[in-house]
Amino acid sequence: PIRTTPCILADTREISSGPEVISYLRTALGVKVEVCSLAGCDYIVSNRLAVERKSQSEFANAANRNKLVDRIQHLQHLFDRVCVVIEKDRVKPGETSRIFQRTRYYDSTLSALISAGVQVLFSSSQAETASLLKELALLEQRKNTAIDVPTEVKGHKQEAMQFYLSIPNVSYITALNLCHRFDSVAQMANSSVQVISDRAHMSAQKAEELYRYVHYMFEEEMVPPENPTK
Amino acid sequence: MAAIESTPVRAGATSVPCGHAIGSEKWRGTELAKLLQGKVKVVFEDGLGLVDFHLSNRTCILYISESDLVSGNAFRRRLVRFRKACNLNGIVIAERTRLSDQYYPPVQNFVVLELGMALLPVTNQKEAAQLIFHLVQERSREGNCNLFIRKKSFQLPDASVLQTVQKIPGVGRVKALQLLQHFPSIQKLSNASVAQLESVLGRAIALNIHSFFHTT
Repeated sequence: PIRTTPCILADTREISSGPEVISYLRTALGVKVEVCSLAGCDYIVSNRLAVERKSQSEFANAANRNKLVDRIQHLQHLFDRVCVVIEKDRVKPGETSRIFQRTRYYDSTLSALISAGVQVLFSSSQAETASLLKELALLEQRKNTAIDVPTEVKGHKQEAMQFYLSIPNVSYITALNLCHRFDSVAQMANSSVQVISDRAHMSAQKAEELYRYVHYMFEEEMVPPENPTK
Repeated sequence: MAAIESTPVRAGATSVPCGHAIGSEKWRGTELAKLLQGKVKVVFEDGLGLVDFHLSNRTCILYISESDLVSGNAFRRRLVRFRKACNLNGIVIAERTRLSDQYYPPVQNFVVLELGMALLPVTNQKEAAQLIFHLVQERSREGNCNLFIRKKSFQLPDASVLQTVQKIPGVGRVKALQLLQHFPSIQKLSNASVAQLESVLGRAIALNIHSFFHTT
């Protein structure tokens, strides 16, 4: 395969929380970073890998437990692979670096993540996180799962993009692949599991889920009544 | 030493009872072993080869000390041999101290990205003992306890399908319900002709829907 510069999708919220990660990726590492609204995911590094970036203090705080669990479970539904980067907190000028207190919560959370097959990486700065993201993207490229579709969606295709994104467990990159790899939504809806899997670079299991969804026979009685407050 | 070399991983150490760990003889009497006492039942055995501890559930621990990290590449060969010898889950615990800190990033790239193993840093044997205790606990729990393991949701997709159909431009909840009454799946709806769609909704919206499915 031809080596091109890898492409990474970053969530819009990372502009404020990790500005150096993005600028470092772009300027020092020559990675194409596209900022999109990824809804609940920090970085998408390939067709199957999502990366969640957490500061060490945020990760170690037991008060954030439910938030972390929800987030990781959400990512596990959308992606075949999930990676968490635990990044050391930035020390502001004039501040002495706090000594990190390792707690039981911290160790049991790490153990549970590892046992659930989530990859865990440790970073000491935003710059290091950027190089880890690049390494991950290059590795995924070697495994032929790199992002290789245009990251922008033009004109009426945006409507198809919104349509695909509303399907359960379809990630932003999968929606992009579906948009660009099929001529039309009807063509996708009439494709076999194999064709969906091959064209949209989805695992056989994910392609089958999508196939079932598209063929699912709707019954109105099964829809909960409309919430009047919504 | 020759015996160890020939058996990189001891056979039979893959089924360790719950709450137990099998530790390599070389750890007997160390600070780590003392700290583990009372928390994890460690059985020390000879000839574990490359592995330092076997935990239940096909998982084992390879320990890299501060001096291993600083003194060079011997531990890399050990990890590669382990990786080639078996398909057990290897968790590498490395002593990341002030002294060995600078060596950590390349080791992380090597262990996690190249070998595909897990790497967890600790600053000393006390932290390692705590971590091993939690790893053993995690592995001896009953099935569905791990919150990070993806659970299958048993929700029927009807509500989602309705939401998806509402993403077609010009289609709100009312029209989506009307459409799905006549074309009950997304696939059937995508194949509806303009005339068929027109029999349910107006001409203009029928054209819209048809062009959505066939041109985007």
